[in-house]
Amino acid sequence: MKDIYIFGIESSCDETSCSIVKNGKEEISTVVSSQISIHKHYGGVVPEIASREHVKNITLVIEECLEKAKMKLEDMDAIAITYGPGLIGSLLVGVEAAKTLSYLFQKPLIPVHHISGHIYANNLVEEMKFPLLALVISGGHTELIYMKDHYSFEKIGATLDDAVGECYDKVARIIDVPYPGGPTIDRWAHEGSPSYKLPIPLNDESFNFSFSGLKSAVINLVHNEKQRNQEIRKKDLAASFQNVVIEIITKKTMKALQERKVSNLIVAGGVAANKGIREKLTELCQQENIHCVFPPLNYCTDNAAMIAASGYFAYKKNRIANLELNSKSSDVLN
Amino acid sequence: MKILYIDTTSPYLYCAISNNKEITGEIQERLDKDLSVFTLPKIKDLLDKKQYQPNDIDKIIVVNGPGSFTGIRIGVTIAKTYAYSFQKEITTINSLQAMALSSKSQSIYKVPMIDARRGYVFTGIYDSENNSILKEQYIKLETLKCILDNLPGNFSVITNDNIEIENKEEYVPNFEKIINHYQDKEPQNAHLVNPVYLKLTEAEEKQAIETI
Repeated sequence: MKDIYIFGIESSCDETSCSIVKNGKEEISTVVSSQISIHKHYGGVVPEIASREHVKNITLVIEECLEKAKMKLEDMDAIAITYGPGLIGSLLVGVEAAKTLSYLFQKPLIPVHHISGHIYANNLVEEMKFPLLALVISGGHTELIYMKDHYSFEKIGATLDDAVGECYDKVARIIDVPYPGGPTIDRWAHEGSPSYKLPIPLNDESFNFSFSGLKSAVINLVHNEKQRNQEIRKKDLAASFQNVVIEIITKKTMKALQERKVSNLIVAGGVAANKGIREKLTELCQQENIHCVFPPLNYCTDNAAMIAASGYFAYKKNRIANLELNSKSSDVLN
Repeated sequence: MKILYIDTTSPYLYCAISNNKEITGEIQERLDKDLSVFTLPKIKDLLDKKQYQPNDIDKIIVVNGPGSFTGIRIGVTIAKTYAYSFQKEITTINSLQAMALSSKSQSIYKVPMIDARRGYVFTGIYDSENNSILKEQYIKLETLKCILDNLPGNFSVITNDNIEIENKEEYVPNFEKIINHYQDKEPQNAHLVNPVYLKLTEAEEKQAIETI
């Protein structure tokens, strides 16, 4: 069978990335230009600045990716592009570049949903086995998705308000941890003890999540302690907060696996890098004989390898867009 | 020599192809929010109609601002990706200069103007030879009006925006004049072709104020 090479482009938030992936599973080259050092001055991603950086970077990233692979765009079978969801101005730069390449080199244009990219990052680790449950946890998403086969997505639960990663960043800001605060909270959680009492949010029978109440609880707790002139034990607070997050996420994930009689779990998204969540899920999955896959850390954050991997399966299903493709800030995964 | 001209800095798509100094195809269409959808397909249609392959174009002239931030990025991204991929010459021009060049008015000064909202405009002042008298900038409309009152000659304001000012003239691009004026302009490295916004982002402005 002829090898299929997909050129992927990702620009949905603050990373400009390109990648070449062979047959949906073998990464040939990936380049990621991150803007974290710029946005950290503002305590978070500034959309207009992100868009401006993408325009500056886009052709440089395309070129470096091709040079690394020693390949040409002529060698590609298709161009895969994150069309959404994400920051509209950021997405637009990638989409316009992808449309231009598709036209110039007469290659099919494959629109890829950002979440499907995070899920398919796991196919670069080992081939996905179905049926599976995907737990997507990132700065923009918290979702449980059931897949009976490739490109069949059934959302069985999602956050009703803030995404889990967003909640980490907000909590970090409350206790003056510089952006991006998630990794620091994770590290502190391992050093502190969970001695503050926080409520477990949306602790019900559904598969939905809610994190804005937890964030408010942290704000109130910090406020009350300050009023009483008590010093905040930041590491203990981090441990208490992370404990609650792990508790609710693992509880609902394990319940979904059980109810759907699924024995394959894949975890995806930036928060999949969280050590606490990894440890607890690995432990629970071992107990329940569930095959659990975590993406390596470089695939947790946004990258184009996952877009090219997902794009391969979309290409196989003939999910091709025309040159009128537009970026979308939000869109249902289907 | 075949030149492709792209301007998406306003609600309009202005696009033209010139072959040996003659305009052989053009688009002037108001697309507003749909610029991101239709700019590339319409450029393709324009080339297809002439039976040009993308590789037949020798040079790209792209208008890189000022104007709508999103609009600017659409044209610039397409143009730099095109030029980089096919190793084509690329050069940028300023939207205000394109507007001044297209003026049909006999007045001494040309004042192209783009609404930048909240009482501000992007503007510049050019003489009849298209020399810059006041360099392109982001300025309060009231301040500009004072400058115009003191000009030693009559002027024409070229704009398509709803700005309250006298001596207004509608902007209709004169592609032939613009392209011929700029076609020998030194080509740039495609990677370094970037928008000229003439305005910091709000986050940058806020931070600049805080550091003062």
